[in-house]
Amino acid sequence: MNPIELALSLVLAVLLISAFGGEPATLQVVADGSHEFEAVPDALVVAGGEATVPANASVEGSVYAVGGTLAVDGRVEGDVVQVGANVSLGEDASVTGVLRVLAGDPVLEPGATVGRLERLEPTATDRGPVAAVATRLLQWFVVAALAAGVARRRPDLLDNVGAATTDHPLVSGVVGALTASTVLALVVFMALTLVLIPVSLLGVLAGIACVAYAYVGFGYLIGRRLPLDRPDLAAAAGSVVFMVGLDLLGRVPLVGGTVQLAVTVVGVGAVLVTYLGFSRFEPVELPA
Amino acid sequence: MKLFEYVRRGAWPEVVGYGLFVTLLAAGYYYNITFVQLGLLDLGTRLVGLPATTVSAWMGALALTTFAAAVTFGVLMDRRGWSTDLRTKLRALFAVLCVQFVLTLVAPQIRDPAAFGAWIVAAAVSMGVGFPVTFSLTVDFVPVRDRGYVAAAATAVAYFAGNVYPLDWSIGAFSRVMTVAMVPGLVVLGALAVRDLGFVDAVADNHREFGVGRFCRPDAVRLRSFAFLAPLGLMFGVFFVDSLGFLRIVETPALIGSSWQSPAFSIHLLIGVVHVIGAVVAGVLYTNFDRNWLFMWVFGLFALTHLLYTFDLRLAAAVPGLAGDAPPLVNPLFYALTVSFYTTLNFALWPDLSTPATIGTHSAVGVGFAGFLSTFLSTAVALYFEHAEVALISHLSLVNALALLLFTGLGLSLYGRQVYRHSRAGPADPADGPAGDDASGGDPS
Repeated sequence: MNPIELALSLVLAVLLISAFGGEPATLQVVADGSHEFEAVPDALVVAGGEATVPANASVEGSVYAVGGTLAVDGRVEGDVVQVGANVSLGEDASVTGVLRVLAGDPVLEPGATVGRLERLEPTATDRGPVAAVATRLLQWFVVAALAAGVARRRPDLLDNVGAATTDHPLVSGVVGALTASTVLALVVFMALTLVLIPVSLLGVLAGIACVAYAYVGFGYLIGRRLPLDRPDLAAAAGSVVFMVGLDLLGRVPLVGGTVQLAVTVVGVGAVLVTYLGFSRFEPVELPA
Repeated sequence: MKLFEYVRRGAWPEVVGYGLFVTLLAAGYYYNITFVQLGLLDLGTRLVGLPATTVSAWMGALALTTFAAAVTFGVLMDRRGWSTDLRTKLRALFAVLCVQFVLTLVAPQIRDPAAFGAWIVAAAVSMGVGFPVTFSLTVDFVPVRDRGYVAAAATAVAYFAGNVYPLDWSIGAFSRVMTVAMVPGLVVLGALAVRDLGFVDAVADNHREFGVGRFCRPDAVRLRSFAFLAPLGLMFGVFFVDSLGFLRIVETPALIGSSWQSPAFSIHLLIGVVHVIGAVVAGVLYTNFDRNWLFMWVFGLFALTHLLYTFDLRLAAAVPGLAGDAPPLVNPLFYALTVSFYTTLNFALWPDLSTPATIGTHSAVGVGFAGFLSTFLSTAVALYFEHAEVALISHLSLVNALALLLFTGLGLSLYGRQVYRHSRAGPADPADGPAGDDASGGDPS
């Protein structure tokens, strides 16, 4: 196992130990090869290779299986946590604590005993109608405030974004879609490295900001058509009108969601091709 | 698009020209990526019985011979004035198609290594003649405005067909498909080349209007200029990165069996659709942005794709339980997107760096050096890696590093060029307004 893989596994193991409230004084790590354990220190981390608790052996402490294989034929007096590794419990094996399965599928032979088996099941939280409405109102307020602020201080930025949206929707859509799909893949894979989770969170925040800016751009375009004299108020009102319209669009069966996505992608593309509105987008000049 | 203008005006010879060009370019590329690159591996290893390394060496020889034949014929085209003579080009293409038809027909019957070698030399020479002629038809059939979209259409058709049909990578299957597909091509090209049809006369002088490429205005780009050599080097890097990575992927059953050689038709269809999307996106970007943006995207996407491949391999090694039975499909999909990007760029770039007087040489050197010579070198490197028993993860990591290096190098050189320009311009006069008005960084050209 190379050092990078080992480091990743150890980071994962440390996160797991912290998450489940463990405070081991000593830790043993299996990185490669086959090893039998008749006794372990406070915690054992299986990051690679194969670790076996043989029959008739009894070990005290928790085992964190984040890679490789863990085969228990004897007794573990503590918890076993499985994240992706191969875990098997033989017919006379027993785990006195909790077998926590975060990822993977443990093999439990008939006769194997486990104090308690816990599987990580993601559960959807169902927000109440008041919370949902409050969240939506907050979103509208934030985007409207942003629209008003930018329209008052730098309307030229919104002019540029709006022009790219209306004059070059195909280019904006293509750039938006391409950037969104590649950045999405990057953000997900960065998060999987664990150490880059903060960077991937920053990427998500930047994406949200970009989408909000795109909505402000659309709101500015709509606001110019509203019977309001003040440009900042018009942009704010336009943003709310746009977001309400987008929400209603999402309720149209079959095509609603797709159109919603396409509009957002065009807006994000317009923000990007205008360098956040600081430059007017002009395609390269080609001969007639 | 000018195409719509021609349709409105009822200028049907020009409209037919678009269709003919897309068909010829797509068919030629389909022949190259399927029959030659994939079919020959099967022919050499399974039917002739040669070791895979020997077949790879022959593939390298094919690339080198194609490059030599292309440059020779491309230079000849320009010197003899054939580049501006549509009928001569159609006749040359008809001759190439006749040779390739015979070669395609006899390929599945080859069992002898000497015959295999002779077949490869004949195929290389015919391809070497064929592609500068095909590329030079751009000046007759495609206005500069539409080159990005036309290149995208050819890319989309070639890769969609290449992925969707045939499913089986065997020389027999390829030969049957290609032979049948070539028959109508032979009839049409034969008629255009031999008979005195009005269509050829109607578009014969279009090179005077369409001929001067986008990057040759106002001044023509010379072969030895930076304006030609820089994209040549970048395109060489693109082909090298692609070929070096794909040569290893194609030899790894777990990776190829779950994607390009999957038994599931839906996966082939999905990869084909992503190729089409990638081509359309590249066409839009090529038409609206400077070409350097497209190069940046290509290198960036290659780096990302190989990052995904290597990440997946590392994850599978470190945490086997998290890795599924098959590698994730997102990897080949990103690969398909990237390949469509650079193929579109490759189709449009060389004609746009040429005039009617130089398109034979420029397209031959461009495609020959960047496409075929890089393939020759990457094959040699891949063979060396195989001999040295370099692990899959190390091989793909190296390709990833190369893509990242080119991506970063291109970005830095573009920025450095801006710095050089500004430094040469001298200090700004405060009376002219705030400094940095021109430093938006918006134009990376």
